[in-house]
Amino acid sequence: MNPSSKVMCRYIKGVTLGEGTYGVVFKAIDRVTNRTVAVKKIRLGKYKEGVNVTALREIKLLKELHDPNIIELIDVYPHKRNLHLVFEFMESDLEAVIRDRNIVLSPADIKSYMQMTLKGLAVCHKKWVLHRDMKPNNLLLGPDGQLKLADFGLARIFGSPDRKFTHQVFARWYRAPELLFGSKLYGPGVDIWAAGCIFAELILRRPFLQGSSDIDQLGKIFGAFGTPRESQWPDMTALPDYVEYQYSPPQPFRSLFPTASEDCLDLLQRLFTYDPRSRISAQQALEHRYFFIEPAATRPQLLRRPPPRPEGPPKPLELKSPTEPFVFSPPNKARRVQLFGGDIRTAGEANRESSTQDFRDRGTPADAIMVPMSSDPKTALRPTLNSTDRTHLKRKLDMDLALQHTPRGLG
Amino acid sequence: MAANFWASSHCKKLLDQEEVSQVLPADQERGFTPEDVKLIKIQFSSYIKSLGGHAKVRQRVIATAIAYFRRVYTRKSFSEYDPYLVAPTCLYLASKAEESTVQAKLLVFYMKKIPTDDKAHRYDIKDVLEMEMRLLEALDYYLVIYHPYRPLVQLLQDAGLTDITPCTWSLVNDTYRTDLILIYPPFMIALACIYIASVIKEKDTRLWFEELRVDMNVIKNIAMEILDFYDNYRQIPEDRINQALSKLPQRS
Repeated sequence: MNPSSKVMCRYIKGVTLGEGTYGVVFKAIDRVTNRTVAVKKIRLGKYKEGVNVTALREIKLLKELHDPNIIELIDVYPHKRNLHLVFEFMESDLEAVIRDRNIVLSPADIKSYMQMTLKGLAVCHKKWVLHRDMKPNNLLLGPDGQLKLADFGLARIFGSPDRKFTHQVFARWYRAPELLFGSKLYGPGVDIWAAGCIFAELILRRPFLQGSSDIDQLGKIFGAFGTPRESQWPDMTALPDYVEYQYSPPQPFRSLFPTASEDCLDLLQRLFTYDPRSRISAQQALEHRYFFIEPAATRPQLLRRPPPRPEGPPKPLELKSPTEPFVFSPPNKARRVQLFGGDIRTAGEANRESSTQDFRDRGTPADAIMVPMSSDPKTALRPTLNSTDRTHLKRKLDMDLALQHTPRGLG
Repeated sequence: MAANFWASSHCKKLLDQEEVSQVLPADQERGFTPEDVKLIKIQFSSYIKSLGGHAKVRQRVIATAIAYFRRVYTRKSFSEYDPYLVAPTCLYLASKAEESTVQAKLLVFYMKKIPTDDKAHRYDIKDVLEMEMRLLEALDYYLVIYHPYRPLVQLLQDAGLTDITPCTWSLVNDTYRTDLILIYPPFMIALACIYIASVIKEKDTRLWFEELRVDMNVIKNIAMEILDFYDNYRQIPEDRINQALSKLPQRS
């Protein structure tokens, strides 16, 4: 028996869970262990460049990372010229939790989610891996409530001296200010900033800083935390895309997160430190007193879970990160924008199916929403900080700053 | 050294000398001797290096490719996996894994440019891409390889010997003509190279090595292996190589 048919026999194919940019994901049963698994089928790019680099990156790094808070790559096998990645099956993701208005997130629940997120990150950073695509949608939840970091398609090994990276990583709302200023020599701080955004999102139950462009994103950040001063972030002015922003004062942290406890605020403040070099590390964050005082973090198995994903599309495992260098947000992110773009009082009731349906009627995700977070590669609407942008930057900045006076987020 | 070699798959996958230098049954049947296998590996390590030079990849990519090549042939026979195709494919896969992809098209172009016998010239993009999948499987999908280069820089700084960097660096490059990378932790290989370089350049490193508290026997074994390469394999007579290569199956 040839080896590939042997492995095909090992996994009994079930329903299709969704489709990503580089393949289909289906549910399957592992006959050897009786486990439910998710099999990601990697399409080979028309026989030109072999195994997709994104998939290769994921394989390479997940083979090195084994932790309860990181998605497990159980197996890889080739079949009919396609590579199949076998992952543990995950029921849901953090985005679904945040969006599900029937779920109340207590401070203890939030603490539990943050602890698991930071634990996963700490392991990555300890092994010199940057995730580079942290967002609620990539934090998957297992049947036992465990949160696991997934989608390492943008992740990289760091630590090589002078290696330049692209700054076009992360979905925009989770992008650290140094990335927005075009830094190419960055470190684990970029993941930490995103973790801060996720923390804030858990508290607020909506994406915290919803910029509509890179420039607007910086505007939103500065609008909340104040324009950084030279003393706060000495290297800022040396960054490639640095532009001076009109000074805006920081808002008191307390007013940004009215319901958060003192320790919670203190940790948030450390995660949102401007200077990446003084930003707290994942390990330090885990040792922060926030995690040691009452209320204790909810045990994962006691966390309330959203109803299981509907079978068939929409999607399961993240998987929508396209290949380098641009990072576009998956359409379902746009869906969420739409959700909150409307009336917040009815937003929670908005039905998932109907909103997806809505969407198809209205053409591309970008058409369907007022403020596109980013766009589909094909529509090419996504604003980036290119040189043309920069020449007009001042003008745009004025505009952005003017916009800032309107209430943020909910419009 | 890179902080987490000890937790890496590379570390867990380190092999014994015996496992590395054994001749697989399929190759034994074709009459390959351990010496033949050694020569073929040296030959193709050089080939990968010159192909990498044409494609202008970083030294790191070449080093990773050679490590892949050598690792593959601890499990797969030369009879089954044609080294003329495996070698360039290792470079292709390494270029992706090290985040500096060389286009398959270009690689095949350089393959045809390098003068070898015709065997390497009949492979095309399609073959490289097909072999890529088989290689991944043969490597059991473990792709992260640590190299002595990074620890080398740090160790030389620590020893205050940065002036012998070029000499030591070349020594490290030459270790890839051996199977050392599959057997020893990279920092040990770096230390052995420093050890040799300090003798060549007449630097007194005795005290520094003592303070390191590493097993000097291991370092000396590695150093012996490197010196053996220089003594016996620096120049290999062409007919000796050809004799070994002639045992490869004739592929149409």
